[in-house]
Amino acid sequence: MSETVAGSETPERRSTVRAKRGLFSRWRRNPLLPEAGAGGAPLTAVIAVMSFLAVLAMAAVLIIHQSAGKWTAELQSEITVQIKGADAAEIAAGASAAIRVLNETEGVEEAILKSEEESAALLEPWLGKGNAQAFLTIPALIDVKVTPALRGDLAPLRERLAVAAPGASLDDHATWHNRLAMAAQSGQALALFVFLLVMGAACAVSMFAARAGLAANREIISVLHLVGATDEFIASEVQRRFFVLGFRGAITGMLTAFAALAGAAYLLERGVGADSFLPQFTIGGWSALWLFTVPLATCLVTAYTARLTVLKTLRSQY
Amino acid sequence: MTAKQQIIRFESAGLAYSEAEETLSDINFTLGEGEFRFLTGPSGAGKTSLLKMIYLAMKPTRGRLFLFGEDTSEAPRDALPMLRRRIGVVFQEFRLLEHLTAFDNVALPMKVAGVNVNQYREDVSELLNWVGLGERMDAKPPTLSGGEQQRVALARALVSKPDLILADEPTGNVDPAMSERIMKLFVELNKLGAAVVVATHDLHLVQSLGKPVLRIADGRVTRSPAAGGGA
Repeated sequence: MSETVAGSETPERRSTVRAKRGLFSRWRRNPLLPEAGAGGAPLTAVIAVMSFLAVLAMAAVLIIHQSAGKWTAELQSEITVQIKGADAAEIAAGASAAIRVLNETEGVEEAILKSEEESAALLEPWLGKGNAQAFLTIPALIDVKVTPALRGDLAPLRERLAVAAPGASLDDHATWHNRLAMAAQSGQALALFVFLLVMGAACAVSMFAARAGLAANREIISVLHLVGATDEFIASEVQRRFFVLGFRGAITGMLTAFAALAGAAYLLERGVGADSFLPQFTIGGWSALWLFTVPLATCLVTAYTARLTVLKTLRSQY
Repeated sequence: MTAKQQIIRFESAGLAYSEAEETLSDINFTLGEGEFRFLTGPSGAGKTSLLKMIYLAMKPTRGRLFLFGEDTSEAPRDALPMLRRRIGVVFQEFRLLEHLTAFDNVALPMKVAGVNVNQYREDVSELLNWVGLGERMDAKPPTLSGGEQQRVALARALVSKPDLILADEPTGNVDPAMSERIMKLFVELNKLGAAVVVATHDLHLVQSLGKPVLRIADGRVTRSPAAGGGA
């Protein structure tokens, strides 16, 4: 095949053209499917929204997990002793006896008697400022920090308190702790369910887009088949295309979600203060890595679903 | 003397686009290794349909088609790409991928076969130079004329050095000089061992080369001896 049909090229020119092609083709990889054929910008936008929602759902799982852990750890290490009595003198005597018992008990790290004002302040939300002390005999409250060993068996301490101060009762916060744990678990399960739903939606979107891409590129797919392409080869081309589109969308969604979380954290801190009972919108340490897996999972799900859809569709053809 | 391998064998094959009537009926012919056939017949007779069955774009609705000794009606789907890679097709409507350059279109059979670019770059460039498109390797099909597109399609069909070359009206869009060169190329490739089937209604071309002819009329394929002069 040494004859040149057009016959106008010199060997020097040919070698220059070849050298140029060789130079550029090292970096260039022309996709066999056209850029817009596989869904293009609309698919990227939808994946960005999916990724945004998935990151928020995953963030909710992590925030609830962290906050619930912090709350329950505090409740686990604290108990409250309440001393009731007919009058202030009886309550003060009971409180002194109870403090004495607590200080003598192994496993008690700290026992702090709240002042009458502090105890009254706890009732203010319900009774109004100053009303509690005016009309009620306010029980004494002792905040006690205990070791896990003592927290595991409070019955002996309960008995000794009952003997030393008949008006004393011990609250281990078990009911509140259990409710809080259950609420946290429910919240986490709900957030995880939302995350899985979003992933499912990403699968469905990817499936539709892959089918639409195949329909739009019917001629290209047919030519690829006729020159000897296997189904796997075509599916890999589509998968690569969807991975790139998915990755762009997923990263966009993740960055948007990070911005939304940062904004929410800022507003929450400004509105209610850093030591609020409400959860903090900050995720630190290894937990944060989970958020970075979300966009990766989103684009992997997108690409793999597209691959399976394409393989299934092609296998139904000749 | 070694027996020639059968490249194509039709056994009582038929093709129907609808249940009412067969477009092609009772096709029985064999094409051996290194053989050349023209496929003629009036427009709409079924030349393209016959070629489509051979390049495995359509399945015979009855009968059998053997390619390279393999029964295609029994072959698993996974075996078809390997058979297709042994066939080079020049489509009547070219069927180039418009988003790819002329170079990438020609390289397509090599890419899908998983051949490294370094192994086919020279071949593709040489073929494009040969068809006079060395200067237009980076041009995309919409910017090429009909004749240029046909030459790209020709280069694509030949780049993988196929055992069977099918050409559907390969000279339809080129000038007489180019037409003659293309036919000479087919004859040369045929001499090198490739089986060739050229569908055309250009009787002058058929007579000038003096190769055996398969004629399609009324949905049936008949054989004619070599016609005319000879090349």
